[in-house]
Amino acid sequence: MARIELKDINVTFSLRKTTKVTLKEYLLKGLFLTSVNPVVAIHALNDLSLTLVDGERLGVIGHNGAGKTTMLKMLAGVYAPNSGTRIVEGNICSLFDISVGFEGEANGWDNINYRGYLQGETPRSLKKKRQEIADFCELGDFLNIPVRYYSAGMLVRLAFAIATATEPEVLLVDEVLSVGDLAFIQKAKERMRQMMRKSSLMVCVSHDLASVKEFCTRCIWMEHGRVKMDGTPDEVVAAYVASIAPIANPTPLAS
Amino acid sequence: MFQHLKAIWKYRYFWLSLVKMDLVTRYRRSVLGIGWSLLTPLAMTGIFCVVFSTLNGSSWRDYAQQTLAALAVWEFLRNTLVSGCKSFLQNEAYIRLSPLPYGIYPLRTVMGNSIHFLITLCVLVALVAVLGSVYVQPTIWIVPPAILMAMLFGWGIATVAAFATTYFHDVSHLIEVSAQAFFFLTPIIYPPSLLYNQGLGWLVEVNPVYVFIEIVREPLVSGTIPSWDRYAYAGGLMASSVGLGFGAIGWLQKRVVYQL
Repeated sequence: MARIELKDINVTFSLRKTTKVTLKEYLLKGLFLTSVNPVVAIHALNDLSLTLVDGERLGVIGHNGAGKTTMLKMLAGVYAPNSGTRIVEGNICSLFDISVGFEGEANGWDNINYRGYLQGETPRSLKKKRQEIADFCELGDFLNIPVRYYSAGMLVRLAFAIATATEPEVLLVDEVLSVGDLAFIQKAKERMRQMMRKSSLMVCVSHDLASVKEFCTRCIWMEHGRVKMDGTPDEVVAAYVASIAPIANPTPLAS
Repeated sequence: MFQHLKAIWKYRYFWLSLVKMDLVTRYRRSVLGIGWSLLTPLAMTGIFCVVFSTLNGSSWRDYAQQTLAALAVWEFLRNTLVSGCKSFLQNEAYIRLSPLPYGIYPLRTVMGNSIHFLITLCVLVALVAVLGSVYVQPTIWIVPPAILMAMLFGWGIATVAAFATTYFHDVSHLIEVSAQAFFFLTPIIYPPSLLYNQGLGWLVEVNPVYVFIEIVREPLVSGTIPSWDRYAYAGGLMASSVGLGFGAIGWLQKRVVYQL
């Protein structure tokens, strides 16, 4: 039984304009120097509350910087909220930043192992899946060379194949379908459909409004770390498109 | 803490396979490969032998064994700290990807260095057999617990240093410079009697590196077992280092990701 419950979640990033704070500045703080490098607080999520129950497929749309990806990472447990309660039940599979975190010097097969173990597999459970992953990503002999020689598309193929080989209860997806070549996108979409049937809960961040309508049962529109609108995909997407229509459909220039 | 240990155990295949990979890739393009691990401490010992053994009067055979043993422990602890302090920065991609227990990343460094440490100790055992009065000292059985203690101590300091370095990047440079100074404060290339004669014996006694050198070197090279209060001191250092490590994890694990 999977469940997500968020109550008044706040996530704030404290960033510095230039670099990290130095030890010198930390020790001398307030003595006689004023900071040349003040902290800039970025409120990524603002009193976010959300409840998702078994079987729901949530689409998340909004402008860049609206807090969508931060929300996914917070759901995955990477960012702990500054305040508020986060309850996520069920084992999580996250499909974001999938092409980072590869060991460049190791070959494809070894990276399948590392990623698999990272997702909580054991050598026994992974043994069966290795061939399946290799078949799905269609990389063939490329799996025998170090991944630092891979092209971006090849890396994404491998990453996607590994990440989707598990059977999660909670699936967190961030813009993974917009990569790879056309044939692979088709295949990936089919795989996603299968996974969504198997997983009991999904949260999907996407700028591809058509696929949000296709895949999701519910949709939220985020702005400045808040939920601006919550409803069925059709109505939320329609409202979102309407809000940006003046920019999206500029009046034709007079000839 | 118990939860954290359970999580580290759960992901054992992950970090163990990374340790294995580090080992393979470290020497991937060199001709000697892991032979460099054997050769480096031997060469260092050779150099110190040539330069210093005439100065302190003891025979070079003895000096070589004593110095290699001390160097092995020193290099292990130094490298663990120097590379361990960057372990969160280097594993940033994994940290951002998945909420793994933080203890894994220093552990990856410690395990990698431990393997080189053990290789050096094997060389040392061979050197004792060749140069020493007996093939194997009968007290060798007490060395493995000492090695384990040194590894746990190393994990603790590496974990604390990793958190400190993530917050203040200067720490990694501070550690390197301090390690250089500490090398000369520790009786590695000179006998501890040198400091005792100067009335600085307390420096030897409180030195956290020297106590680990003692409990590894004496049973392995001299065939004597250090007094139990030395073991108690080493155990105390180990316990407080591990305690600090877990304390730092408990205190900062939810916040450190914002500093990366």
